[in-house]
Amino acid sequence: MTVDPLHILIAAAVSWINFVTIDLIFKLPERGGVSGAREIARQIEDGGGALHGGYMMGNIVSSPDASAGTLLAACGVYIAGIPGGILAALLVYVGNRICHDPGYAGTTGALSATFIVYGFSLLGFSAAEFIAGMVIAILTIQGISAVYASRLLSTLWRWRRA
Amino acid sequence: MNLILAAVFTFIAIAGTLGTIIEKDPFAKLISLSVIAGGVIPFIVDRGYLDVAIAVAIIAPLSTIFLLFACRRDSS
Amino acid sequence: MAQGVNTEEAALIICAGIAAYAAVRILLEKNTLRKLPFLNVLSFAVAGSIALLLPHPLGIIAAAAYFIGSTLESNAIASTYAGGIREE
Repeated sequence: MTVDPLHILIAAAVSWINFVTIDLIFKLPERGGVSGAREIARQIEDGGGALHGGYMMGNIVSSPDASAGTLLAACGVYIAGIPGGILAALLVYVGNRICHDPGYAGTTGALSATFIVYGFSLLGFSAAEFIAGMVIAILTIQGISAVYASRLLSTLWRWRRA
Repeated sequence: MNLILAAVFTFIAIAGTLGTIIEKDPFAKLISLSVIAGGVIPFIVDRGYLDVAIAVAIIAPLSTIFLLFACRRDSS
Repeated sequence: MAQGVNTEEAALIICAGIAAYAAVRILLEKNTLRKLPFLNVLSFAVAGSIALLLPHPLGIIAAAAYFIGSTLESNAIASTYAGGIREE
């Protein structure tokens, strides 16, 4: 099956919405979970970014969150269907506890992504497109401009709090 | 893995090595070590040695963490 | 090249390309803590590449182990850096 760029873009958008929504639900931008996340947020703020967006970006670096869950779930579904996605969710849960993170953002993101990716695979998408899509999605948040990404996340956080 | 992909991952490993040499801050050097590991592990996976890949993927970060513990002990 | 690129190869090319871009951004960024988000992108891309290179069930565990190891390491670097600044 030859590659369809539109599929990959749609997969990227769906992955972005999945992980940002779940991270906002679990209040990742509220505060830095560990000292490393707080320090990263401070540096981003010093560089011109927004603090709450920086907290979320710091939390993404320090512990597997919904973005990691979405990626690993896509990998799981690609290799082994729904059982693979559930195994990925279990590994994310273990990873969270190893990183001293008591939250469930990662596990929830992984479980929701498992069913979303499987559902899209019934519509003709491939789970590989979701793997590439999720990498593109995290690139837009962590990998282009910390300043603009943190401002966008802070704006979304303000909406969530309202 | 075709030649282009091999070249890209080799580039990543070389970029990490350059980082270790050029960077002055020791924490930046540790980050560059992580980049080297990221460039090398796909080659291990491509050959089928998944257990070796899992071992390297666990041992490399663990060594960095122990290194940081040792440095923290020294300075405090 | 009469045949088009198939989906898995395209996904691998995207992951490898983004990993290379992240490696370059890490080198170019001067502030050490601001390198960590780029390292995070590299971990995502390499974890995705691991799963795409070898579709074997153990591959899920390999990708997860690599990603969690990399996250743990970034967390340790950031926390130690944060602790260190106050001492100076």
